[in-house]
Amino acid sequence: MVSPSLLIAIPLASAFAAPLVALGSKKLVKWIPPLALAADLVIGLVLLPQVLDKVIVVSIGGYPPPFCINLMVGPLGLSLAILISLVGLLVSIYAMGYIKTEPTEKYHVLYLLLTTGALGIVLTGDIFNLFVFFEILCIASYALTAYEKDRPGTEAAIKYLIQGTVGSTFILVAIGFLYGLFGTLNMADIAARVPSAEPLHLFLILAFFVVGFGVEAAIFPLNAWLPDAHSSAPSSVSAILSGIAIKTGVYAIARICYTLMNAQGFLVFLSLIGVITLVVGEIAAYRQKGDIKRMLAYSSVGHIGLIVFAIGIGTSLGLFGALFQLVTHALAKCLLFLAAGYMIYRAGSKKLSDIEGLGRRMPLTAVAFTVAAFSLVGLPPFAGFMSKLSIFCAALKTDRAAYLGFAAVALAATVIEAGYFFRVIQGLYFKGGEKLQSAAGVKEAPATALIPIVVLAGLVVAIGVYPQLVTDVLDGAANELFNRAAYISDVLEAP
Amino acid sequence: MRKAVALLLVLVVGAGFYVVLANIPFGVDKADVANHYVRNGARETGAVNIVTAIVVAYRGFDTLGEVTVLFIAAVGVGAVLLPASRPAAEEKTEASLIVRTGSRVLFPFIILLGAYILVHGHLTPGGGFQGGAVIASGFLLLYLAWPGQGAARKAFSAVESLSGLAFVAVGILGIVYGVGFLGNFLPLGVRNELLSAGVIPIIYVAIGLKVGAELAGVVGHLMERP
Amino acid sequence: MEQVANYMYYAGGGGLILIGLYMVLAKTNLVKIILGLSFLDTGIHVLLVAIGYVRGRTAPIFSEGIADTTAVVDPVPQALVLTAIVIGVGVLGLALALAIQVYRHYGTLDVAKMKGLKW
Repeated sequence: MVSPSLLIAIPLASAFAAPLVALGSKKLVKWIPPLALAADLVIGLVLLPQVLDKVIVVSIGGYPPPFCINLMVGPLGLSLAILISLVGLLVSIYAMGYIKTEPTEKYHVLYLLLTTGALGIVLTGDIFNLFVFFEILCIASYALTAYEKDRPGTEAAIKYLIQGTVGSTFILVAIGFLYGLFGTLNMADIAARVPSAEPLHLFLILAFFVVGFGVEAAIFPLNAWLPDAHSSAPSSVSAILSGIAIKTGVYAIARICYTLMNAQGFLVFLSLIGVITLVVGEIAAYRQKGDIKRMLAYSSVGHIGLIVFAIGIGTSLGLFGALFQLVTHALAKCLLFLAAGYMIYRAGSKKLSDIEGLGRRMPLTAVAFTVAAFSLVGLPPFAGFMSKLSIFCAALKTDRAAYLGFAAVALAATVIEAGYFFRVIQGLYFKGGEKLQSAAGVKEAPATALIPIVVLAGLVVAIGVYPQLVTDVLDGAANELFNRAAYISDVLEAP
Repeated sequence: MRKAVALLLVLVVGAGFYVVLANIPFGVDKADVANHYVRNGARETGAVNIVTAIVVAYRGFDTLGEVTVLFIAAVGVGAVLLPASRPAAEEKTEASLIVRTGSRVLFPFIILLGAYILVHGHLTPGGGFQGGAVIASGFLLLYLAWPGQGAARKAFSAVESLSGLAFVAVGILGIVYGVGFLGNFLPLGVRNELLSAGVIPIIYVAIGLKVGAELAGVVGHLMERP
Repeated sequence: MEQVANYMYYAGGGGLILIGLYMVLAKTNLVKIILGLSFLDTGIHVLLVAIGYVRGRTAPIFSEGIADTTAVVDPVPQALVLTAIVIGVGVLGLALALAIQVYRHYGTLDVAKMKGLKW
């Protein structure tokens, strides 16, 4: 029986060992993240059938919960961990050839630690441990955003750092208040004691948590850092940030709202914030003509809004839709950033007008970009269609006027999204051949970039055509999030 | 305008603090988790400093995360700073004779104090982080006295990585011995003796060396830039 | 008066957090903003330790000669603050390194002038 604590120990040990390897041979270091994340992916997949049946509770240190920190490996945690390992593995393969600025071994160490932080966030069962791993994720992303050491990267990183640290302080304040009220830090223990506290205090603590995690999740109005950071970072970093890092903020908010606090009254307000974020993100993305990565960053903001809206629907189907959308957006947005990375590199500029006509010169990359864009907009037969459909079905089933109104607004925002993505695709294929006759160096992306691009595109199509691949697991995950009593008894009565 | 908005936000947040804190009575015993630690900690872990028992044994995973944060900060500082455009040896004014002589005399004692705090973490107030910070301040004194000398960056990096690996290795050894990740597998020994409390002294020594090397490395990076 | 004496430590910790928040939001010099981050950190540490204090009790260390049944303060917030201080130091170190790099690029530390990236 493999211990799930290896899921975190292996990348951590590899990250600590990497500088030692770098002292010997710098070229070997870029192989360490793919190997560590591949090992994690294998362990995750091996544990999955067992976890779908009965959750695994690992207590670190051997003492019984709630007197120790425990890992709560349920369907939700393990499915997100598998997603993080898979996406992390593919982006690290891409980065093997893409990252050329020195000191490259530090990039790989920081990247591996970012994914370790994300894995820790989704697997832990203790609220302060969540904060510690969240800080690991955040600090690694601050450093990676500034990795290119150029002017926009450094400016984006310092703004990200300041806003992120203020958010982290709010999280710590909320944890302090939780400890003062309940005397424990174990999530299941807090969930069991929550009914004994006054609703006003719980609402204030919840508000502090949402503001704190909302900075990382980039909900409106806390998303000012995201367009700068995701567009100025190197493309492999943008991919992992947009694909995984912001999702962990959303996961933390969902875990606190449902499992910890059972905040039924707050959910409508959460959906409202989600819809506002969606509208702001999509409209801002439409206005970006000068920088394709900034457009993709605002699109991420919009999709986070959609996921948060789905979390606020308050039914098991809504949670299923939210998790499904999380998975499809992670795969598609990652693919978009990876493809755009090489398109920008070959064309030499980020402007939409300068990447016109690349559809002929870089066929595979452009096709992958198109597949991902169609999936995000929600066209069949791609994965995004199924996920958006489940969210709208869940909203319509509630039969409450507020949610019907929100769903209508979300549909309108999808039309805007189609507008700006089609503009890019039109530019790729149907325009501007003359401009590139002179640019002789434009050829297809190298193999290290093509492997992850093709695999991600394949997954997007496969999940769209055959969603049963993921729906059973996500159903179990949604049920785990929805079913508080089972969570509490699973952890506190573990043998 | 901006200051008015800032003041308003601060007042709103302050009101929120007041409402919750008014309900958390000051100076009153509140926890049964903490009572368990206090009553049983010395017996279960062998350490008489209960805070150490919590930091290393009961909540050792948090400590692992914390050393990782410091590691990221050290690597990150190295990654985001452009290399110095001119060698650090030029253009630095020399420190005075008093500083140089004083540093030479004080440095071994500072390291000794740091090592003492580090090793006795389970018996007296202190521990790995505190001892590591003291050791790093000794190195800071050396930087101030001889500003032209570069830091021994490779040595610091090697010490960092080796101690980090030692911490994770102790954890994995716990799995091998069947007590779970970061479980205790060494005998608890006699209370109040230096060699007691199972793996706690070993982990704290590793943490102390790591923190000392990292803080000294970060300070060295920041001081070398013109 | 009794009330004030009781809640002095909470007010101190909370006040530091609010001062830090104001500095981060309202000041324009990058070093002052980073100092505000440091105030935020210190404030929350004081607040956490104050939440863990129990009146009339002593430190949780059972050295030679101290009975096992001595009443001690709550040790858990102290362990949390230990972790939080180290995390705060890491963030501050990275922030200062980024500030050095920003100064190299822009020549100034005035945040209002850093408009390289716009809406």
